[in-house]
Amino acid sequence: MPSKKVVRCARCINECREMIASRLTECFQADVLELMAPYNELIICSNGFSEVYLVSDKLLDVYLKLASKGRYPYCIGIYAGRLSKGILIPSTMLADKVFKKLGTYVNSVEVSDTGLKPFLYGKDVLKASVTRTYPRLIKGRYAFVVGRDGYVYGLGISVVDEGELPYLRPNDVVIKNVFDAGWYLRGGTTPREKKYKLWE
Amino acid sequence: MMRFSLSDLIDLFSVNISMRARSLAGKYGFRDYMVERYYNIFNDWLVVEELLKAFDAPLPKSIRCNLLKVRSCDYLVSRLSDLGFELLGVDWCNYAFKVVKEGLVSLGATHEFLAGMYYLHRGVATLLPPIMLRPSSSDYVLDLASGAGGKTTHLAQLMGSDGVIVAVDVNRLKVRALRSNLERLGVSNVVAIRMDGRKVPEVFGEGFFTKVLLDAPCTAEGLIQVDKSRKVKTGVEDLARASILQYELLISALRSVQSSGYVLYSVCSIAPEEGEFVVNSVIEDCGCAEVVDVPRLINFYEGLVEFHRLKFSNELRKCVRVFPHIHGMEGFFICLLRKL
Repeated sequence: MPSKKVVRCARCINECREMIASRLTECFQADVLELMAPYNELIICSNGFSEVYLVSDKLLDVYLKLASKGRYPYCIGIYAGRLSKGILIPSTMLADKVFKKLGTYVNSVEVSDTGLKPFLYGKDVLKASVTRTYPRLIKGRYAFVVGRDGYVYGLGISVVDEGELPYLRPNDVVIKNVFDAGWYLRGGTTPREKKYKLWE
Repeated sequence: MMRFSLSDLIDLFSVNISMRARSLAGKYGFRDYMVERYYNIFNDWLVVEELLKAFDAPLPKSIRCNLLKVRSCDYLVSRLSDLGFELLGVDWCNYAFKVVKEGLVSLGATHEFLAGMYYLHRGVATLLPPIMLRPSSSDYVLDLASGAGGKTTHLAQLMGSDGVIVAVDVNRLKVRALRSNLERLGVSNVVAIRMDGRKVPEVFGEGFFTKVLLDAPCTAEGLIQVDKSRKVKTGVEDLARASILQYELLISALRSVQSSGYVLYSVCSIAPEEGEFVVNSVIEDCGCAEVVDVPRLINFYEGLVEFHRLKFSNELRKCVRVFPHIHGMEGFFICLLRKL
C-alpha cells in the first residue's frame, strides 16, 4: 500500500544550513551552495524521512506563499539528497549538475557499458567494470557511478580505498549499489526509502 | 458553479442515433452515439468513416529530446539509431521525433531514457500545448493538471529550466511519477504540489501566475489509437461529468492568471462537449476572457461554432482541433485564452 504520510517542509537556515553545506562539501569536495547559485536556498521536507532541496529565491517565494497557507510541496527545485541519521545521501540529480559546473567528476567511478547494465538492474559495480576513477574513493563513503558517456547513472558505497583497486580481482566488488537510474523503471511510483541502504 | 446540472448536460449532450451511425458503429466497434456525434462535427459520412479507420491505425510513439541534458539532438538520434531505432523528425518541432521503427530495447528502458536524454510521449500532438503557450524564463507558469509531467517538463525545457512552474495534480501516483520525471530529466524550476487544481486560487490568490497551462482531465476520446477500449468506455454521463470538472478547472485557471495573462486550455479529446462547449460556457459565464489566435504550427482544423443542438460564439473559430485522419496525430482540442 502506498504511504499516506503527510509532507511537511521547513526552510533550512543557520545551523541547519551549515550542517547541510558541510555534508555537501564532503560529497563533492566543493562549496556546493556557492556553486549552484541561484539555487542556494535550502528547504527540508519530511515524509517519514527528510529530503533536502536547493531552491532559487523565486522558488523560495512560492514555497513561503504555500507554507503560509499550511500547504507544502511534494518536491521543489533541485532534489539534493536524503538526510538519514545525520548523513546526507546525495542525489544523482544534484551530482549531474555539480559535475557539469565543476567541469570534472569527484568521488566517482567510470563504468564500462557492460558493467553499467547490471548496475542499472540494482547490482554492484565489479572491478572488471571500472574503466576510470575520479579521486578519491574512500572505503565506506559514497561514490558516484558515471557511464562512459559522462552521465551520472547512480550512487553507491565504496567498499575499498582507492589505493586498493589495483590489487582486486576482476569479480571483486568496488561499489555497493545504493541508488541507480534503473529505479525510475523499477519503482517510479513506490516509496523510495526501501531502495536506500546506509553504510554501517 | 456551472449553470447546467449533470442531468441538464446529459440531456443536452444526448443525440438521436441514425441507422447509418448504428451501422458504422457496429462495423468499427464504437458506441453508436459517438459515431452520430462525429457526423455532427463533419456532416459527411465518408469523412466520419475515414476518422473511424484512422482510429484503428496504430499511433507512432514519439520522443522529445531533452535539451536540458543533451547538447545536441543529433547525438541522441545517433545513439538510438545504434540501438536499432528509426526516428523521423517532426517538422514543426526540431527536438521531437516520431519513432517509425522500434529498436532492440523498449524505449522506456534504454540507458538514454534512464539518463534523462528524452521523454517518451504517446503521440506528437501532446507537444503542441506547451509550445503554443510560449513560456519564457521570466514567467510564473501554473500547470494545473500536470499528471506525470510530460507537459511540465516540456514547459521547463522551453524556459531553460528558469523562471517558475507550479505543477499541480490531485492524484498521488501521478505526482510521484512527476517527481521521478523531474529528477530524471534534470528539471530545477518546478514546485510540485498534490492538490485539487480547483483550490489553487485559494492558496495562491487571484492573478498570481503569468501563464497557465490546463491540459484538463478528459475522456481521452482523441487517444483511441492508443487505447482501443475507449471506443466503448465513455457514455454520455461520463462526458457530462468530465465537462463539469473541466469547466471548474478552467474557471480556476482564469482566476489564477494575472490580467492580460494567458491560459492555454487543451484536452486530448475530439469531443466538442469537452472542448468548445467548456470554453464557450466559461467565457459566457465569467465574461473575463477572450479567445486569441494560436501560432499556426500546422494546418489546424478550426474550432466549431455549431454542434448538434449547441451554438458557440464565433470567436471559438480561433480554437484549433487536431484529428487523426487529417493530421496523422492523436485527437486534440486546443484553445488559447487571454484574461481581460
